[in-house]
Amino acid sequence: MKNYPLWKSILVIFVILTGIIFAIPSILYNEDSGNWFFKNKINLGLDLQGGSYLLLEVKSEVIFQEELDNISDTIRLIARGLQTNITNIDSDIDQIQLRFSNSENLEQIRKDFLIKYRNVSAVINENTIKIIINDLFKKSVREAVIKQSLEIVRKRIDESGTKEPLIQRSGKNRIVLQLAGVKDPERIKELLGTTAKLTFHMVDDEDVNSLKINRAPFGKLIISDFYNSEIKYLVEKKARVGGENLIDAKASFDPQQGNAVSFRFDTTGAQKFGKATSENVGKRFAVILDGVVITAPVINSAITGGSGIITGNFTSQEAADLAVLLRAGALPAPLEIVEERSVGPGLGADSIAAGKFAALIGMIGVCVFMILIYGSFGIIANVSLIANLFIIISLLGTIGATLTLPGIAGIVLTIGIAVDANVLIFERIKEEYKRNTKPLLAVKNGFDKALSTILDANITTLIAALLLFVFGSGPIKGFSITLSLGIIASMFTAIMFTNFLVYFWFALSKKKEINI
Amino acid sequence: MFGINKIIPINSNYPFMDYRKVFIKISVLLVLCSILLLFFKGLNLGIDFKGGTLVEVNTKNSNIGELRSILSQEFNDVSLQEFGNSNTIIIRLQNESNKESIQTINKVKILINDKVTEFRRSEFVGPTISSELLIKGLQAITFALIAILIYIWLRFEWQFGFGAVVALTHDVIFTLGVLSLLNIDFSLSSIAAILTIAGYSINDSVVIFDRIRENLRKYKKLELSDLFNISINHTLSRTIMTSLTTLIALICLYTFGGEVIKPFAFAMIIGVIIGTYSSVYIAVPTLLIFKFRPQEEDNKLI
Repeated sequence: MKNYPLWKSILVIFVILTGIIFAIPSILYNEDSGNWFFKNKINLGLDLQGGSYLLLEVKSEVIFQEELDNISDTIRLIARGLQTNITNIDSDIDQIQLRFSNSENLEQIRKDFLIKYRNVSAVINENTIKIIINDLFKKSVREAVIKQSLEIVRKRIDESGTKEPLIQRSGKNRIVLQLAGVKDPERIKELLGTTAKLTFHMVDDEDVNSLKINRAPFGKLIISDFYNSEIKYLVEKKARVGGENLIDAKASFDPQQGNAVSFRFDTTGAQKFGKATSENVGKRFAVILDGVVITAPVINSAITGGSGIITGNFTSQEAADLAVLLRAGALPAPLEIVEERSVGPGLGADSIAAGKFAALIGMIGVCVFMILIYGSFGIIANVSLIANLFIIISLLGTIGATLTLPGIAGIVLTIGIAVDANVLIFERIKEEYKRNTKPLLAVKNGFDKALSTILDANITTLIAALLLFVFGSGPIKGFSITLSLGIIASMFTAIMFTNFLVYFWFALSKKKEINI
Repeated sequence: MFGINKIIPINSNYPFMDYRKVFIKISVLLVLCSILLLFFKGLNLGIDFKGGTLVEVNTKNSNIGELRSILSQEFNDVSLQEFGNSNTIIIRLQNESNKESIQTINKVKILINDKVTEFRRSEFVGPTISSELLIKGLQAITFALIAILIYIWLRFEWQFGFGAVVALTHDVIFTLGVLSLLNIDFSLSSIAAILTIAGYSINDSVVIFDRIRENLRKYKKLELSDLFNISINHTLSRTIMTSLTTLIALICLYTFGGEVIKPFAFAMIIGVIIGTYSSVYIAVPTLLIFKFRPQEEDNKLI
């Protein structure tokens, strides 16, 4: 071995051994080991272990709409005091244009209104006022809304019993959810798709005419029943108490009314609710969830204890889910699911089995082929290839990368491409040997001359793989990771390990000729 | 050994450049056909790039007709297809708005629940996401081509970079043409395949270029086309070996890797074959246009 420096030999053997040792956790794949060493196993992507990937978009615009709605109510009140009427309202995502019956008092209206609202600008033009929400305010609202949404999504998912969810913000207004092992993605989607805004409003049963003409007077709203949209209620626009004052909610069972959700208010909520009920004994109040009335019972006596139950025609699952939603709190703005990828455990397991089998057969095919073509040098290339696989597996495990189905494809592809560096070297050695009969010199020159070609050829593939990592999404990133690791590992094994093995083989066999 | 190693030529001396005109004509024709196909027929864009819903189910006994009649009562644009075996069926619903579609999965599941033994996978891609994915995919391909061109340009002379990128473009367009012709689902993993083909195609060209550059220094008086022939022959056994080992791995992936990976493996197989051909008959002949002898010769670097 005098042709191969000792430090290099030690380095090569050290790297290969480390690779083999750290591939053990992934190969054994012991599920519940708490041992730090066995924690270095490969993470399986959702497409392999089964689970759901959901991408949610936060609809912050709804908040601006609500804000603009409040603004136009306030202005209507101010204008009414000045004997001016609003004749037309034109609203957009972040601005609203109000047209008035006359233009005389607009300056006064504007002044009075701007005292109350600081985050908007108001421009008068003839007999209209255009109100625009400030950009800075919009930005801070968006930021607050996404942070709050993340919090609530996390609470809901935790309450639903999903293990180890991955919940992350993505970009300006999106949330990524990765839920491994979820069996019923429909239920999770249901939980996330509900805003769960709960409010308590007084019902106006006296004004029968408004319901008849289906037009709510100022300060009131017409809302339909959850179970029968034909039934309508005229309710006060302003809620007496809201879900933000709830401190607990549980699914319960009422012998007379069936499944129910019992809840408890905090001190403020209990006070508000007590005041509202004591002032309105004999009238009805409506429990409104996301814009529909769930139930509207008659107040028999003042409720001052701060707790109560909501009944409706719930199934036990519905009652349990509603309790989860109320406990976690309402979302500040609706969430829209813009992408879903769910894989059942059956397909995941099939994919792993198929991937392993394809890799194994591919490996055997390539190894047999290399031996047929290169004889003993083929065996050297195969040892190198197997070492390469160990290094890829150990790297995947230790850096915490995620193995996906395209990732497995990347490994199989690597098996095919990885021998390329060896082939380049062997072909060079063959050529050099034909020219120069000293085998060891041929080997040395072969390696030296193949080196720059190996680098050039592999770096171009590496560039493509890295760009795939930057622009690719989800499982495709997994492909670029295994391909990149495969290329890097194959350069190392070919340049260092194959070289070492060739010299080792010469030293061992004491051959004086090359037979490739 | 066993005569198999005869497929790897030893001391070959094929006059590759003599046939270049015929092959270039064939290539131009194939690329034109591919462009026409892409233009008029287009790619069969999957839900990744078009948006929509996909549900994969296992059924008791191939009742695709029954499922179709149940689902087409509810949806206008539903298509069903057997996937690998007759018991596995893929249901696709495309071109619906965001809101409808996220509920579509649930609707489909409720409608066919009693006919199905297993829901294997469900995917939904909203319209904003699908267009973002398409843009990102195209960006990846564009930047990869530019980055590879810059690298080749730094390591070789610009003529080599030009030749390599012409060959690579040829490979990518031809592969896309085949995917269009055979109506193969074009998805995110197809983008991965295209980029890997680009990498492989360049890889192959670079090995031959490397040898050409070396031989340009070595044989200064030689006619360029002869020099190219020698260089291709020198690297021929490597070209064939690497293509074959890669193809062995890819064919295993195609045959045993499962249905989901099949379109990827297929595109790669086409790409590797065409990439091997193009490095000999597109990348190298392109260099002949320039009739150059690189700068290094004048500088007498050797």
